[in-house]
Order: sequence, then structure tokens, then C-alpha cells
Amino acid sequence: MKKKFPGLSLALLTIIVIACMASELLMTKDPAYMDLARGDIAPCREFLFGTDAMGRDIFSMIWYGGRVSLLIGFGATLISTVIGILVGSVSGYGPSGIDGVLMRLTDIVLSIPGLLLTVFLQAVLGGADVFRLAVVIGLTGWMSLARVVRTEVLQLKNTDFVLASKCLGGGFFHILRRHLAPNFVASILFMAVMNVRNAIVAESTLSFMGIGLPLEVISWGSMLSLSENAMLSRSWWTVFIPGVFLAATLLCLTNLGNYMRKSISRRHSNL
Amino acid sequence: MDVLTVKNLSVSFYRPSCEIEAVKNASFSLQPGEILVIMGDTGCGKSVLCKSIVRLLPDIARIKSGQILFQGKDITHYSEREMQKLRGNAFSMVFQNPMTALNPCMSVGAQIAEAVRLRKPQIARKELQDEVAGLMELVGLDCPEKQAKQYPHQFSGGMAQRCVTAIALAADPDVLFADEPTTALDGEMQEQILELFLKLREKLGMAVIFITHNPHVAARIADRAALMRAGEIYRIGDAEEILEKHIYDNYQ
Amino acid sequence: MKNTYMTIISELIRFMLSVFLLSVLVFTMSRLAPGDPLYAYYGDRVEKMSLEEQEAARERLGLDASIPVQYMRWLKGAVRGDFGISYKYKRDVKEVIAERIGNTLLLGGLGFVIIFILALLLGLFCAWREEKPADRIVCGIGTVTSCIPEFWLSLLLILVFSVWLGWLPSAGAYTVGMDKNLADRGRHLILPLTVVVLGHLWYYAYLVRNRLLEETRADYVLLARMKGLSGKQVLYRHCLPNALPSYLSMMAIALPHILGGAYVVETVFSYPGIGTLAYESARYQDYNLLMVVSLMTGVLVIFGNMLARLLNGHIDPRTDRRAGAFRGEADGL
Repeated sequence: MKKKFPGLSLALLTIIVIACMASELLMTKDPAYMDLARGDIAPCREFLFGTDAMGRDIFSMIWYGGRVSLLIGFGATLISTVIGILVGSVSGYGPSGIDGVLMRLTDIVLSIPGLLLTVFLQAVLGGADVFRLAVVIGLTGWMSLARVVRTEVLQLKNTDFVLASKCLGGGFFHILRRHLAPNFVASILFMAVMNVRNAIVAESTLSFMGIGLPLEVISWGSMLSLSENAMLSRSWWTVFIPGVFLAATLLCLTNLGNYMRKSISRRHSNL
Repeated sequence: MDVLTVKNLSVSFYRPSCEIEAVKNASFSLQPGEILVIMGDTGCGKSVLCKSIVRLLPDIARIKSGQILFQGKDITHYSEREMQKLRGNAFSMVFQNPMTALNPCMSVGAQIAEAVRLRKPQIARKELQDEVAGLMELVGLDCPEKQAKQYPHQFSGGMAQRCVTAIALAADPDVLFADEPTTALDGEMQEQILELFLKLREKLGMAVIFITHNPHVAARIADRAALMRAGEIYRIGDAEEILEKHIYDNYQ
Repeated sequence: MKNTYMTIISELIRFMLSVFLLSVLVFTMSRLAPGDPLYAYYGDRVEKMSLEEQEAARERLGLDASIPVQYMRWLKGAVRGDFGISYKYKRDVKEVIAERIGNTLLLGGLGFVIIFILALLLGLFCAWREEKPADRIVCGIGTVTSCIPEFWLSLLLILVFSVWLGWLPSAGAYTVGMDKNLADRGRHLILPLTVVVLGHLWYYAYLVRNRLLEETRADYVLLARMKGLSGKQVLYRHCLPNALPSYLSMMAIALPHILGGAYVVETVFSYPGIGTLAYESARYQDYNLLMVVSLMTGVLVIFGNMLARLLNGHIDPRTDRRAGAFRGEADGL
């Protein structure tokens, strides 16, 4: 069962990422410019995606804000992946005492309600800007990755090929590079891609609920935080358009992640 | 009349990139009550040959050409539903690894009972229990009441293989396929299982197709033997003669 | 049987220890976080209060002592079942929660049951039709729904069904004055429930599908088919029972996520449940309320994990010989 390469998803994701990074070239207006007199205009020739309640041009905001959302997604993932791999591999390779302590710790952190953890970390770090939000999301998202890495390391530690390499005189780093890493790279890549996805969801959800980025910092999430207003004025485009971009990005990431994940089994069904 | 006849059977695996012919132009026939040993190295297609007769191949494998006759009827193009009636009735099979062939989550007795009930849907509970106990005794499991309640992981390989055999016998088959039933077992157990097969054949009179790669096992049990290599049956005939030649060829 | 008692006792100790650690952690965290709980109690009036008044208020609320002392005080009360008053609502925390817990249990519990059943059915269906068009279509739709953020789905549903079509209410748990009317409650429940279910369903259905596909590759499937069972029968009678223990333990872990994780949905739909309460209390330093809500969620998580561990160990006959009652005995064997 060879998996089909998700070419469409990759292409779409690349387009979105490049367009967001080069947003200055695409923007037709200043995304931060507010013109309350021209709020809630439906999509037209001047405002391709319409304007929001503050009279900002949604077309320009999408690309400009997408950059922030993607940055937070990748930044947070960098943090959570590094922590996750560190905790997981120390826990898996180290003595059982350290393993026990680290895994209990992970369990406890997991049992703290995520919202509380986020609010607490935000309060400690103070202020809500792009960098701090990425740190907060990264610090709350490493647990499941740590568990996966730990299981992989535990399983691999005692396999015959690792033993064989040890017998042939392979050092720790040789074993790690040539035998361990190639084996768990698939699951880590999968988890990392899923973490990007989760971080983007977290950013948008937090911003939407008013505890992430403030309204002035444009991101896909903060664009949606004006939705209350949209419900009253029936300006569907202010809700619909940022969400479509958000969901499309998430879908592309999911497809890519699933492709990277180890396939279930190469054998065929006996049914 | 032959109980089973296979004429010029070819079976292919269709992968997206290529077609792999696993069985090429195989022909043989089987008399009632006869033990035919199919011998060959790993990967020569002997297992695929058997599975294609009972049609338990994965989706990507298909019978390309040839004919399979069961008691004179052409079953090559039987539908899945018709084949389902033959499996567990006319045909049954014993597998290579008894530890994975039994469902780990179901008691051994329940697994045998399931096979019995498929053949006799109306059977009463008491009779069912008796029949299961009878089958277990037949394959040499000496305290059926206790062992029926146990789970496969509590059994040794040899005992588990006896259970698999009991399940196969529940069908009261005309042809029993044995796909390397002794390979996963150690020496002592191998011998016991072989004896069991010989005894069962005597008692029940079914025909057996026995797959193995071990010439000693083959010599112990075969009436007739067929040798396979790279998907082809290249020699078939009286067991003693064939095996003698085979051993002569290999040790020259 | 002695072994069973030992397991239960050690699990209980582990449980208590985890809950205790969790309470210490949450207590310390909430108090270390910047922000003044007096605002929760007095609102903006705090700014007009003199420093002495503020001090007096702090003393009255027991906020002047050091954190360990405060924690001991809280623990003493908690052991007796006294969790203090909510600063915002100025009433016993238990009362505030009691008022809303029913709503959350209704939304989350119903959501959980629906997800539990639908995920199993969808997983079975997809495994049965593996890689056939039907499976691909369901997988495709499932992947798309799993990629839609909950809050955005809520917004879309409100936009379509409340604002445009006007069929369903967009907020609250019941129309004012009609809290005894079941039909009215049901109408308020439809949209949030849809979001809760769609938000989680595919994740679990996909896990069931993959777990079943692993099972269909096992050797025992061949033996079962050789008995004369059809593919569908093998899937139901053999593969499903083998996949069930891991599904049950998975759902035990999922329980707190679904039940307690509905705060986004509750917030968007202004649904008066524990989720909105948790959100408010964390933002406005309503310490006592926050402690209880956090502990409830945490206990549920720890309990779910414990349940999963026990289920894993006890349902599967490979790990427990006494589990014979689970299956097989039904045949009288």
C-alpha cells in the first residue's frame, strides 16, 4: 500500500506560505488602516474580500495576518518539538528513575486544564505579542510528542540491530545517527507537522476568545474575534474568508502529516 | 473419481507497477483419502497455490488461467458466497503458526464451537459442548472441559496446533489443507503432530494436501509428492520415488 | 485475589498523590500569576478604595498570608467540603458550580455518547470497505471536518442556522422562563452538540479504522474465514472484540477531553456551563472557583488515565486469566 504523495496539498501550502511571506507585494491597501465610515462593505472590486467592522481591507489583512499565524505556528512547534524530543529521549534512554519522574511530570502537566496553563503562562510572561504567544503555545504542546519519542526510543533500544551495532563497536552517536534517528524520524516529523497545525488552531482560538493577540495585531485568529459584530451586521465575509484560509492551511498540513506517518502495515488485508 | 483436480493453474499478483506470477501452469489431482505433499523452498508459491484453491488470496492476487475441479464440479469461477459454503464444509485448513492463527481474545472452546455451529446452526447447547469435547479428544487434548475455557496464550505451540486442527476437523472436510503445520514447532512436537495427521486420515478418510519444505517430514507422511520451484510443479508422483530422486539431486 | 486488592490500593494511592500534587500546583500557579483578585470581588471599585481598605479586604478574604499558609487553610476547608466563596459571584463555590454542572454534563455527556457510538460505526464501516470508494469518501470528509477549528464551525453554524435561516437559537441553554421545557432545551442543544461531535468524531473514528485494519492483517482472520465465516462476520466477531479493549481505554482517556474540553464551544454559544466558568475564573483570579474547576477537570483526567490503565490490564485475556467471563463463556464453554 504505497501512499499517494499529497502534491496538491503541498502546492497549495507553498502558495499560501509564499504569498503570506511576500504579503507586501500582494496587498492592495494598508491592512492596519481603519476607516470606520467604510466598515462592513461586501466584497467588491475595490475591496476584493470586503472590509471588516473597522473598515480594514480583508484581502490585505489575509496575507499580512497569515504571516503572523504561520510564524506562531512554526515558532511554537520549534519550541515544543525541541522540548518534546529532549524529555522523550532522556526519559527513554535514561535510567528508570529519571524516566518515572519525567513521565509523572508529563502526566501532571497534562492534567492541568490547558486553558489555565495558557492563561497562567501568559500572565507570567506578561503582554501578548507574537513572540510571547508562540512561547506560550510551545510550552503547552510538547507532552504528547515527548511520549511518542519515549515509546519509540524504548522500543528501539533493545532491538537486535542496535545490539548488533553495539557488538560491532558502534558508539552512542553512531547508533543514534545511523540506527535510531532514521527509525523515529517518521513519527517525529508527523508529530511536528501536527504540532504546527495545533499551534495555528491554538493561536486562532485564543485570539478569537480575546486572550491571544489583541485586535490591532492582525492574524487569522484576531480577524475572527470581531465575529460577534458580523453576526449582527450579517457580513458573512468577515467570518467566512479568514476561516477558509485557516481551514485550508490546516487541511494541507494534515495531509502532509499523514503522508509522513509510518504506514500501518505493508501487508494486505486477510478479509 | 478425484476429489480435487487442478489443471494448468496460474496465479498472479498484480501490483501497480508490475505483475508477478506466483504459480505457473500447475496441475495435479488428489484421490479421496490420499496425502499429497507439496514440497519446495520458501517463496516458491506452494502456499499461494493452496490459498488460491480455497480463494483466500489478498485482493491484488487473481487466478489468471486454469481450472479447479472439486468432485468433478468446476469451482474456478465460484462467487465469494459459493466459496464461503465450501470453506468450512468441503475444505478446511491448518496454518503454519498456531499461536497467531488462533484469536487471542476468544477461548479455545468458543473458537471450536464457532466452527461447529457454522455447519450445524440448529445444534443445541449440550450437543455443541459434547461435540467440541469430542473434537478436542480426537486431536489429543486430554481434558477438554478445562482446556476449552482456556485462551490460546495459555497453550504451548503443539497444543495450539492441535486446537487449530480441531477447528479444521469441525468442518468434517473432504480436503484438508495443511500449510506447513509443523514448521513452527520443535522436533518432538513435529513428530506428534505428524502422527496425529496420519491417525486422523485413517479414522476420517479425508484427503490431505500437506505443504512443507522439510524432506524428512515429507517422507514421513506422504503417499504422493509434488516438487515446486519458482511457481512451477516440476515433478509429481509416488512419494518414495520422488523424494529419493530429490535427495539424490540435492546431495550430489 | 490478593493481587487485586494490592492493585486497587496502589492505584488509589497514586490517584490521591496525583490529585494532591495537582492541587498544590494549581494553587501556587494561580497565586503567582500577576493580577489582583480584589478586582474579581469588588470590580472597579477597588481603584476608589484607600490602601487601608484594600488591606482590610485582603485580610478578610485571607489573601494576606504566605502561599503555604493560604494553601493549608484551603486544604483544611477542602477536606471538610468547604471550598470557600467565589469572589465574583459572592456565593459558595459549590452552589455556583451546582447551578451549571448539569448543563455541561448534558452537552459533554451526550456528545461523548454520540462520539463513542458513531466513531465505532464509522471505523467499522471504513475498515470493512478499506480503500474502496466509500472508505475514501468518508476518510476525505472526515479529514476535512477534523481540520475545521471548533470556534469557526460554531460561527458558521450560527451564521447559517440562526442568523440566516432563523431555525435555531444561537445562545444560552434555554429561553428565559422556559427552563423546564425539554423541547426548548433540545433546540438550544443542537448547534453546540453538533460542534462538539464534529470536532472530535473523526479523530476517534480514524483510530478505530486503523486499529481494525491492523487486526484484519492477523493470521486468525484466515482461520476464521476458513471456518466458513464471511468477511463481514469475521470483522464483527473476531476483529472487533480484539480491537475493543484498546478502543475502550482510548475513550477513557477521551472522556475528560470531550466532557471538559467544551469551553470554546460553551463560550461561543454563551452556554452556561463549567467551561465558561473556568474561563472567567482563570482570567479574573477568582481563586476559589478556579481551584475547584481545575481540580474537577484534573481529577477527571487522572481518573480517565487510571481507568484506561485498568481496562488495558483487565479486559484482554492475555494479561488476565480471570477475564474469561468477558467472552466465550457466553457459549456455555
